[in-house]
Amino acid sequence: MQHKTRKDGRILISPLVLFLAALLGFPLLVDLIYSLSDVGFENITAPKLSGFGNYAKAISDPEFWQAMWFSLRFGLIAAVLEVTLGLALAIYLSPLLNKRPWLIAFLMLPMMVAPALVGLMYRLILHEFVGPVPYYLLEWFNDFPAFLNHANAFKTLVTIEVLQWTPFALLILYTAYASIPQDILEAASLDGAQGWRRFLAIELPMIAPALGVTFFIRFIDSFRVFDNIYTLVGSGAGGATTSMSIYIYQAFFKVGNIGLAVAASMLLLLASFLVLLLINKLTQRETVA
Amino acid sequence: MIKAVSNIVRWLVYGLVVLVLNFPVIATLITSLKSDGEITTNPSLWIVDPTLANYTAIFEMADRFDIMHFLWNSLVASVIGAALSIMLAFPAAYAMVRFGTARGWLLPLVVNLRAIPLIIFAIPIYLMYQQVNLLDTQLGLALILCLVNVPLVLVLLATSIADLPLEVEESARVDGANTYWLLLYIVAPMSLNVIAASTVLAFIYSWNEFLFGLMLTTSEATPISVGASFFFAASGGGVRWGVAAAVMMLATLPPLLLGLFMYRQIGKSMTAGAVKG
Repeated sequence: MQHKTRKDGRILISPLVLFLAALLGFPLLVDLIYSLSDVGFENITAPKLSGFGNYAKAISDPEFWQAMWFSLRFGLIAAVLEVTLGLALAIYLSPLLNKRPWLIAFLMLPMMVAPALVGLMYRLILHEFVGPVPYYLLEWFNDFPAFLNHANAFKTLVTIEVLQWTPFALLILYTAYASIPQDILEAASLDGAQGWRRFLAIELPMIAPALGVTFFIRFIDSFRVFDNIYTLVGSGAGGATTSMSIYIYQAFFKVGNIGLAVAASMLLLLASFLVLLLINKLTQRETVA
Repeated sequence: MIKAVSNIVRWLVYGLVVLVLNFPVIATLITSLKSDGEITTNPSLWIVDPTLANYTAIFEMADRFDIMHFLWNSLVASVIGAALSIMLAFPAAYAMVRFGTARGWLLPLVVNLRAIPLIIFAIPIYLMYQQVNLLDTQLGLALILCLVNVPLVLVLLATSIADLPLEVEESARVDGANTYWLLLYIVAPMSLNVIAASTVLAFIYSWNEFLFGLMLTTSEATPISVGASFFFAASGGGVRWGVAAAVMMLATLPPLLLGLFMYRQIGKSMTAGAVKG
């Protein structure tokens, strides 16, 4: 029996394992080999190993670090804003949502729209002649900023990201908040813990794990941002909006520098591993405590 | 009295938040219902003379940009991508949960995959697709969409299978059922809700995927998430904003409707995926 289930188990996982080997394992191997090779489209099947030249090129490229810095900042700021706003809204709106659960459907809708389409929509919305946002700003304040110039593009993109994904934080944090056992809250109230004190002493610690998870998911997702930036500004604004994903895309498709693109990919993988390691360490500590 | 007022304020805040968060879609919908002339003279959120002309105009350009073709590509690739991710993940999830197969490495590997920017694999996949003629095909796109969705689907299915009662399976085993029979006639029917919810979520994510659609297709298999931007450059001179807006509305309608009608299942899946991942 034991022997039989072990064999069954192996058969059951094999389709997934083969699939991942073909679409993940093999590409990773290609990444590794190409990043260490002298490779172009003409010798794509026969790359010549050449050491760490591609990595050196990536590391010494100021645009690489600019892109890394953009992604880090974008991910961190967006995640912090989304979690903060999401938590505040989740708590403030919870009396409504508790009574009428369907109200959350309209708060979740932004997540259903493709980020690429959101980027396109803002091309229309922010357009100086046909966009409603500049129109109303002009109407009310007699002026509107250049949303996508070098100075403002970052703020605009963070705002767009936050408006689309605060609903994710709201959903997860509302669910966590609503599942705090009622008797604990009542006991706290009897002991005189009300308002802010109850929130800080009891509610916040109980939803802290959900806060952490939401933050990390949103950070990771925003860190690899591509779609909405690409459709809204492309690589415009003088490199001020080049995320890591866009950097790699351009190195490959625009410049055709395969070696640089795959070396940057491997460095991004390394960075992701470091972040994951950090997350795993933090969450482990959380479960121990 | 104070309670009533604070309740009204809460409703107002809710309404305002819904409007602000959904502003891109609302503004696009409004623009799509204006005539070309009105769009340039009246960018406000008020429609003076509503018209459906933009929606019919989309189909008049079908010889250059065929929206039905883009929508069809998205539908085919998303359905295959979502279904395939379930078919790969379901047996694997069962084996991991019940037999402990590869639990130590496969589950963490796939779960952590969600945290890795997929662009890392995009270039080799592009070069590989070139060699095996999968570039610009619906199947090629579908395989990638499956890859994108497998981590979440696996987590959702594994969690739900772990919660199923063991007794039913055990008594079927005693009656001589083998693993495959069990999986197909006992576990799958009991997991139908989770399978359905995961499929819907995977379909939405697939429909909305952009990066691989952009890289791996050129014309034949272009999905709507990529094809929508073509309409911004459609008319040579300036952008026909009304047409572009109408295209965006059609492109976003399927996931929007799914989200509206299945918000409960989607919300549950998103929460479970976040907390268990």
